[in-house]
This record gives sequence, structure tokens and C-alpha cells, in this order.
Amino acid sequence: MRRRSFFRVAGAAAAASTLVLAGCNPGDDSPKPSTNPNLLILGGGDNGLLNYAYLLEQLEAAFYQKVLDALPADLLPGEKDALTDLRDHEVIHREFFKQALGTNAIESFDFDFSTLTLTTRAGVFAAAKKLEDLGVAAYAGVGKLITSSVYLGLVAKIASVEARHAAYVRDAVQANSLATADADTIITTGDFAALNVALTPAQVMSAAAPFLKFIVDTSQLPKA
Amino acid sequence: MNIFKLLANLAEVDPEAYQRLSARRGMLSSLGQLSRKTAATALPLGVGAVLQKAYGRNTQTILDTFTLALTLEHLENEFYTKALEAGRNGTLTFAPGTQAVFQQIQAHEQAHVAFFQRQLQSSNAAVPAKPNFDFTGSKNGTKPALYADVFTNFATFLKVAQLLEDTGVRAYKGQLEFLISDNDVLQAALQIHAVEARHAAHIRGMRRALGANVRDWISKDDETITNTSTAAVYAGEDAEKQTLPGLPITQFPTDTTPFAVGPKPKVSLGEAFDEPITTGVATQLAGLFTF
Repeated sequence: MRRRSFFRVAGAAAAASTLVLAGCNPGDDSPKPSTNPNLLILGGGDNGLLNYAYLLEQLEAAFYQKVLDALPADLLPGEKDALTDLRDHEVIHREFFKQALGTNAIESFDFDFSTLTLTTRAGVFAAAKKLEDLGVAAYAGVGKLITSSVYLGLVAKIASVEARHAAYVRDAVQANSLATADADTIITTGDFAALNVALTPAQVMSAAAPFLKFIVDTSQLPKA
Repeated sequence: MNIFKLLANLAEVDPEAYQRLSARRGMLSSLGQLSRKTAATALPLGVGAVLQKAYGRNTQTILDTFTLALTLEHLENEFYTKALEAGRNGTLTFAPGTQAVFQQIQAHEQAHVAFFQRQLQSSNAAVPAKPNFDFTGSKNGTKPALYADVFTNFATFLKVAQLLEDTGVRAYKGQLEFLISDNDVLQAALQIHAVEARHAAHIRGMRRALGANVRDWISKDDETITNTSTAAVYAGEDAEKQTLPGLPITQFPTDTTPFAVGPKPKVSLGEAFDEPITTGVATQLAGLFTF
């Protein structure tokens, strides 16, 4: 991870006071300095939410780039092109959020994919399925918290493309995958049956933790 | 005056008053508890001045959105129900393994119909009746059919399914701004929007498996399956620029530093963002199959 704007300071006491100060200034949505070199504090407001999305898109773009850097030998025809499309879409999403955030953007990060098996087709698509489903559930969970209707619209334009990605990689894992109901993806019972699962930022960051070289503090993101 | 319209207008002209009412009574914020019934009786006294401001405006409301959504979900539900019937009757032959997918999709659409019906009922709002559908596009034989073999030719069925699902995704996206005042409603719409996008992609994948030049995402490189009547399904969908209002540089990507990634940057830019359609376009497209 690059250091310059991913603030590192000294001592937990300073971190606590940063949080308190941030709480006193709800109008400031910029990412907050952290005293812990391994802690990324996402800011509040729409900027915090956009930074959350920016972090997820960084993760997805880095994943597909890593896959393309050393493609498994057993890919089926057409899959290299599709994985290239997926990488390109995620890079575009990443750069979109970076430009939208401007000086409020968090740093760009490296990720740790060492827990994944990326040398086989099955391993690549199993990992992609987890990441894409996570992205879809993340967007479904935070879209409502965005206060700007313009950014809500822009995020929704990306969210449905992520759902298309998820469908693609799920079918790559298992042909006609939608035939098998999966309650982790689409709710299967109750009043909210047939709605996509929605996850909170804390849930998403917990699931993404194996890939992150740092801890993400989502506590300043809007909750309602 | 419809209570939904009134509250939506109130949210617009006086967000603070709306918040006070909403917080106090749980109005429009209680989708999860299905307790919108309270809204009809919850208006406290002393808000006359605010209501005067809200009254008489004619903006689209949450109720309008739910009515459109219910129509689209009825459309999709009946479409798949008819196709599965045709499969059972032997008049439509599904590609191996796909019938079970369409059973799931139909079950999802049926649940979406029920979801919106419940929301409308629990708000004491009128629940619109299911329209009459003709998926050949002949309006019950009163005009030439657009897709005469929709339930006898699997390739045609898949094409119409793709058009309906992609329309649904774009339509939900176009409605989100009208739901922004209510987090619970907005979240449900986003969750359904994601499921419709999954449907669209799975159906596109089935067409590709049968030899069509089509991707799971909407691409300029996809073969054209629309005609004059259905052109609006993809009109404006391949936008290569996004507008970022209020920033020093209001366009993504910028003109000065062309954004290049991968072998076909402009096509990828169009693919990476799904675009909305308006209420009017969505209604017109649904109208192709209603009579």
C-alpha cells in the first residue's frame, strides 16, 4: 500500500481524538486520518459511501488483473475475452469513483489474493463468484444511504452491471446456475423472497477481510 | 388527494416537516414492518400550512412507481407462466437444462408481484388489476404481430425475454430518484433491480450458448435484436460518457485524457454502465404487449 495519503500516525489516543473531532464535524466527508497504519477509516456522508464503493472496485479490478496476468490453462473458449471485459469494466468503475471523489478519494491499495487458487479455471470462477456476489449485495445494501439522487443514479448504473457479472461467473461455475436456489444470493422465503441479499458495509468488509492488508473502519458511514 | 402523493410532495417542498412526520409515525419508513396502514390515519393536526405547500404539486410519487413496477412484474410473470405452460403442452421446446431456470425466474417474478401488491394493500392504496397481455405484440390480433412465434420458437422466446428483462432493469433504475425519500422502499427497489439484472444476464448467456453474438452485459458489439417498435429498449444504453455534476471536470472520462483500458475502451465504457429509461419509455414498452 502506498503511504502518502493513507495516513499513518503514532498512538491510539490520537486515533480516538480524530474520531471524536470527526463526529463534531458532520459536514466534512473526507476520509479521516488514522493513527493506526493498518486502519482505513472511511469518512461519512456520500463521500464515505463513494469511497466504500471505490475500495470494492479497486479490489475487483485488482483481482481480474491478477487473473489476466497468469491465466489458467484450462479456460474454455471465449472466457479469456469475458475475463478481459470484466477487468475492463472494473477498472472503469474504479477510475470513475476516483474521479468523482477527487481530493476526497482514499489511496489506491494493493490486495492479498494468496488465499485463492487462481491457477485453475474452477478456482478463478469460484473466487470471482464470491467477489461479484459480494459486490452486488454491497451495492444493494448502501444505495439507500446515498443522499444525492445524481450519485444514487450513477451507482445504480454500476450496480446492475455487477449483477450481470455475478450471473456470468455463476454460470461459469455451474451451467444454468439459476436453476438452483441460493439463499446467500437471492432471498428464498418470507416477505422479501426473490429480492437480492443486501449486506451492510461491516458485513462486506468482514467478508473481504482475507484480501485486505488493512482493517477498514466503516463506523462513520451513514446508517440510515 | 392520494396520501402517497401528498407525502411525496411534502418530502419535496418541506423535507424537515416530512422527516418530523416520518420519524414520529414511522410513515414511509416502515416497509419492513408492512405498516403503511398507519400513514392514512397518522397525519397529526397542525400541519395545514405545510400541506398547503405540498398540495397541488404533480410530481411522480412512490405510488406511481409501485404501480409501474407492478405492471412490469405482472408482464414478466405472465410471460414466463405462459412459456412454461407451452413447455408442458409441448408447443415450446426449452434447450436442455433451461426450463428449471425459467421456473426459478417465474417464481421470482411472481414473488415481486406479490411484494408490490402487499405494499399497496398495506398503504390502503388501490391495487391495479393485472392488464391483458399479448406477447406476440399483436394487441389481441388487432395489428400485425411483432413476435408471432414467441411461444413456439425457443430462440424468439429468449429474445423477447431478454428485451423484457433489460427493459425491467432500465425501468427500475429510472424510478430510483422517486424513492430517495424512503430508505426501505429504495432498498427493496435496488434489491429487485439486482435480481432483474441477474435474470437478464442469465438469459443473454442462454442465447450465447445457442450461437447468438451477445454478452451478459449490454454491449455495442451485441447483435441487434430490436426493430422499429422495440428500438427504445436499448436507445441511449451505450453511453460512453457519464456526467458528474458539481465537479471541476464534469465528464467521465475526461476529454483531455482519454480513458484507455483493454482492447476496446469505448465499447467497454458503454458496457460498464447500464443506463435508465424514463417512466414514459417504460410504459410505452410495456404497452407493446398489453391490450
